[in-house]
Amino acid sequence: MGTSVQVTPLSGAHSEAPLCYLLQVDGFRFLLDCGWTDSFDLSLLEPLKSVAPTIDAVLLSYPDTIHLGAFTYAFAKLGLQATMYCTLPVHHMGQMYMYDHVLSRKAVSNFDLFTLDDVDTSFANSVQLKYQQHYQLQGKGEGMTITPYAAGHLLGGTIWKITKDTEEIIYAVDFNHRKERHLNKTVLENFVRPAVLITDAYNALNNQPPRKQRDQEFIDMILKVLRAEGNVLLPVETAGRVLELILHLESNWAHQRLSYPVALLTNVSYSTVEFAKSLLEWMSDSIARSFGSSRENSFLLKYLKLCHDRKEFDELPSGPKVVFASMASLEGGFARDLFVEWATDSRNLVLFTERGQMGTLAKKLQAEPPPKIVKVTMSQKIPLTGEELQAYELEQRLKMATETEVDLVEEVGPNSPEAKAVTGPLPLTVAEPGGGVPLGVEGSLATNEIPSQRQILIDGFTASDKTAGPMFPLYENPSDWDEYGEVINPEDYRVEDTEMMDYQSSQQAPVADVEDNTDQEAEAILADRPSKVVVKDYTVYVKCALYYMDFEGRSDGRSIKNILAHVAPIKLVLVHGSAEATEHLRQHCVKNVCRDVYAPRIGETQDVTSDLCAYKVRLTERLMSSVLFRKLGDYEVAWIDGEIGSQESEGMLPLLPSETPPPHKSVFVGDLRLADFKQLLATKGIQAEFAGGVLRCGDAFAVRRSGGSQQLVIEGPLSEEYYKLRDLLYSQFYML
Amino acid sequence: MTHATKAIYKLLLSDFVKISKVSVDDMLYDEHDIARTMEKIEVIDFHQTMEVNGIRFWCYTAGHVLGAAMFMVDIAGMRVLYTGDYSCEEDRHLRAAEMPHFSPDVCIIESTYGVQIHQPRIMRERRFTDTVAQTVSQGGKVLIPAFALGRAQELLLILDEYWEAHPELQHIPIYYASPLAKKCMAVYQTYINAMNDRIQKQFEVSNPFDFKHIQPLKNIDGFDDIGPAVVMASPGGLQSGLSRQLFDIWCQDKKNSCIIPGYVVEGTLAKAIMNEPKEVTLLSGLVVPLNMRVHYISFSAHADFTQTNAFLHELRPPNIILVHGEANEMGRLKAKLITQFAEQNVKILSPKNCQTVEMFFKGEKIAKAVGRLAEKSAKEGDIVSGLLVRKGFTYQLMAPDDLHSFTQLSTGSVMQRQSVPYKGTFTVLRHRLQQMYEQVEVVTKADSPTLKVHGNLTVTHEGADYVILQWVSDPISDMVADSVVAMILKLDSQSMFAVGGGRAKEARLEKEEIKIVHSLLVSLFGDVTLDEEHQSLTVNVDGIEATIDHVKRGIECKDENLKDRIKVALRRIQTALYPLDA
Repeated sequence: MGTSVQVTPLSGAHSEAPLCYLLQVDGFRFLLDCGWTDSFDLSLLEPLKSVAPTIDAVLLSYPDTIHLGAFTYAFAKLGLQATMYCTLPVHHMGQMYMYDHVLSRKAVSNFDLFTLDDVDTSFANSVQLKYQQHYQLQGKGEGMTITPYAAGHLLGGTIWKITKDTEEIIYAVDFNHRKERHLNKTVLENFVRPAVLITDAYNALNNQPPRKQRDQEFIDMILKVLRAEGNVLLPVETAGRVLELILHLESNWAHQRLSYPVALLTNVSYSTVEFAKSLLEWMSDSIARSFGSSRENSFLLKYLKLCHDRKEFDELPSGPKVVFASMASLEGGFARDLFVEWATDSRNLVLFTERGQMGTLAKKLQAEPPPKIVKVTMSQKIPLTGEELQAYELEQRLKMATETEVDLVEEVGPNSPEAKAVTGPLPLTVAEPGGGVPLGVEGSLATNEIPSQRQILIDGFTASDKTAGPMFPLYENPSDWDEYGEVINPEDYRVEDTEMMDYQSSQQAPVADVEDNTDQEAEAILADRPSKVVVKDYTVYVKCALYYMDFEGRSDGRSIKNILAHVAPIKLVLVHGSAEATEHLRQHCVKNVCRDVYAPRIGETQDVTSDLCAYKVRLTERLMSSVLFRKLGDYEVAWIDGEIGSQESEGMLPLLPSETPPPHKSVFVGDLRLADFKQLLATKGIQAEFAGGVLRCGDAFAVRRSGGSQQLVIEGPLSEEYYKLRDLLYSQFYML
Repeated sequence: MTHATKAIYKLLLSDFVKISKVSVDDMLYDEHDIARTMEKIEVIDFHQTMEVNGIRFWCYTAGHVLGAAMFMVDIAGMRVLYTGDYSCEEDRHLRAAEMPHFSPDVCIIESTYGVQIHQPRIMRERRFTDTVAQTVSQGGKVLIPAFALGRAQELLLILDEYWEAHPELQHIPIYYASPLAKKCMAVYQTYINAMNDRIQKQFEVSNPFDFKHIQPLKNIDGFDDIGPAVVMASPGGLQSGLSRQLFDIWCQDKKNSCIIPGYVVEGTLAKAIMNEPKEVTLLSGLVVPLNMRVHYISFSAHADFTQTNAFLHELRPPNIILVHGEANEMGRLKAKLITQFAEQNVKILSPKNCQTVEMFFKGEKIAKAVGRLAEKSAKEGDIVSGLLVRKGFTYQLMAPDDLHSFTQLSTGSVMQRQSVPYKGTFTVLRHRLQQMYEQVEVVTKADSPTLKVHGNLTVTHEGADYVILQWVSDPISDMVADSVVAMILKLDSQSMFAVGGGRAKEARLEKEEIKIVHSLLVSLFGDVTLDEEHQSLTVNVDGIEATIDHVKRGIECKDENLKDRIKVALRRIQTALYPLDA
């Protein structure tokens, strides 16, 4: 009768590991988020490995690494085939995150977990939804509706509601109940008594200072460092909270007319801001309003310089500056480079705005007290030179030669040889990590004898082994003849009448790929120039100031508890949060929210099928004509006595008026707050005062609540006033 | 309205206020009014479902212009689709109108183009670019009078792309001379996500509305009129303003062209020159020959008959209401649609302005029984009693105790404690209550003597002067309580009377008693003599005598019949005098 619902955490249960959960609704398998850490630890994905191919739909709630980091990898390598559902900003910004990861890893190492193309393919297989769009699943998920709702925290952040028949399952993690500069607050509070709520305990033990105070401290701290000629490094996520910080800084810079340079240094900074500009409809009301009235796009940034690489960054005017750089974990990206560079100067400040992921450099630095010395392993990709280069080229050429041979056999066409040759995989040599001493390149390449003859060949040009010496490829074009002459293909001679479209497509051609220009450039550099990876260990003496301020934009413990009490789910599942926080919230909820609170462990399947029963009946005209509704807020309520009639050809059982209604106890509907009642009395000219939880009315009457229950007690001596008071009290209820 | 519409709305109306330089009294509205409407606007994104008073609605892309939406309104399962202006043809930046997933019960559809059929878009664009290219390559100037919004952006996109593809033309400047269009450009640069996939693809590289070959032109003074040029200027009807100024300068040169890119209003110069008259009147009043070539290439983004027909055939609404269109054109469309839909039972209406169309739909009301009420699955003949809760158009049926679980409502109860003065003995009270009510139980465990009446009301004697009534409110209990109160009050007033006289009073009653009995017996039997000394009464009925000893309550009488009658009478009198002793 009911809908069966099971939740299985695949990662991120009783710990702060990335979020990834399996939700089964009547056998339909949802993957809720698919997160990973910045260190791309493969062991975290073990539980996902076995279930990935069986998933029917993926729902992503935020564009950051801990919510979608593993999606591309699962899609490319683990056999995840399902369609991904997310909001438009999560789609765009999520791609930014993944691009940034690939580019920053590729720049310094032989990153091979996934490629830019994998990112594109995985994200192409998606459906983008709007908030409050009721999307009905087809096929296996027939009858199910998924709806995204605004969650705050990050642009496009989503609370998912999954509805099947009468069941409502809500997945809400990392929401923010506070309105921010660029985002509206979550709408989670609008849900009432869902069957199942899956939420996180990440912030259950945290409390936040008031926003105003924190904002001011933030700016003060940055300015103090700048005025003392220091640099400020803000390690941030690629396209997440950084948007909020940028707006905050921009408004202060404009307000105080500051001239210190501010830079956003990520591989995708331009695209990120450009996307943000076009996603105003997903942002806060105030941003939309300011655009609506003055067409001033809040992300038309006046002070922020967008930098894609160190060269652009180094060209900024010298002197103290503020830099937002990815990654927040300091595990990679420009932030890591800058940290190593700046940490040794005591004037500088590294200001963390979010808690570091477990086991990352950022986490180490946020420890109390901060470490004085950290060991950092830096890797670098340097182009090959001299002998190494020659050796490499030789190897390439040999490889290509064999490959081309295969190609030639496979297909004959004017384009194939060079196309294949260029795109052949370029094996790069990895050096073994060296000892404690920095500098110096360990790792060498075997040198081979180079046949001089081959040296004249340029890249992409390959000689066929069938020929004695190198020659240009020659293709015979065999043509068929019949009695009328050569057989032609009429298509070759047709004049295209869509010339109109041509200039358009010709303009498009070089950029038809979804990738950013910068991506191509970067890739070109990586692909074209043979290089090798050099790994060095640095010992960094951390002299700079380290500070952490909570700009994560998540609801704090107290608000989480309030919201949960308000939503009052029938069953509650807690995930993501340290064991301590999870246990704390679980105990709190059992006491104050609902009886059924679960905190399953990784791999443990928790059944949360609701024991609620329900059936549907058709209300007949005859019954409804005799029903008198009373209005109560949004609701209208009536008492009915019905009798189930016989089922007609098809459809639902009709409900007819009952001939012999059984007597029933009358029901008082309504929820009266004594304070409201006091006000009402005041308007009627009756003196009323609270004394010890009892509302004293007039001289001798009292209205109170009996022992925490819903029951009100009215007390007093028999008199005219007593009945007056009682009538007023009754007027606040509906008696049915 | 959608986000883009809201942004454009503000621009458009403010522009109207600015250009309508009429007296303050004639002004329809001013800036202040616009600002006030802005606060009232709720924005809705495509596909986002909103709910107001239980009526749900959402919108689909309509094509036509940036932000245009078709609204689907769902009232208790009855659905109405309003297309507004729509276009089923994807153009350079807009999506084609979407096909809703389900058929609405009523479709209100525009009929601007009636039964006309558009030339394919490719052909139109080709004619347009050919005309422009030809004119400028011959050293002529091209004037495109166009409304600042909608088609203007489409035409600029075409021109920018054409210039991009033809480097030989790139030295020829393109201008758009409309401050409003310039302002709108920011909106177009922002709401990329409301446009088609092609634009979104381009956007990932660079914003297609950052034109490379097109510049804005503020006014005619800033325009260097040398050599060939392409200028798009408003207004579209050439009534006045920049487009007219340029027209006046260029109209006599036969190298120049004027391209009218869409619908123009009757009575404007643009409409007049479409018929290629020999002469035109300039703004200055001079009449000059019209040598400039005039082309009419419609880029209007309204659905034509083919699109409307295909749209309706796929949508299959049982009711179609035609709106927005010139009467004749609409009539023709209606006739043609009636023949098209002859086999299906489709009602097609074309109401006049202010004419109300009434349709009746019988909605099925479905209630969902939940919670305790639904523990047993329903079968025929079951009695279902409970609360029916309506929110919007959804109904839920539940037991009162479940109200709290399924709605934000809660059930409450009111306990009443009333103190009533009573100075009599509790036994008397109990006696009276037992006489009056069916269920009176004595609660034995209570500290003070307590009675329970009707299972709900408790009456407690607290202290000597008061009884406390306590009950949980409901209409029946209230009634019982009220009657108990009335009784107690009455009893109290009687006992007050008794208590006030003390024992003397009781003695007096004893003395009086015989007199009362006497008078009552007189009224019954007529001849009754009272012997006060012996406290006896003698009744004489038809010669038979009976003596009543009042103290011993004995009756002496030879006739049994009479004796019985007197016995009954005395018992009744006794009961009347001492109702509580019985």
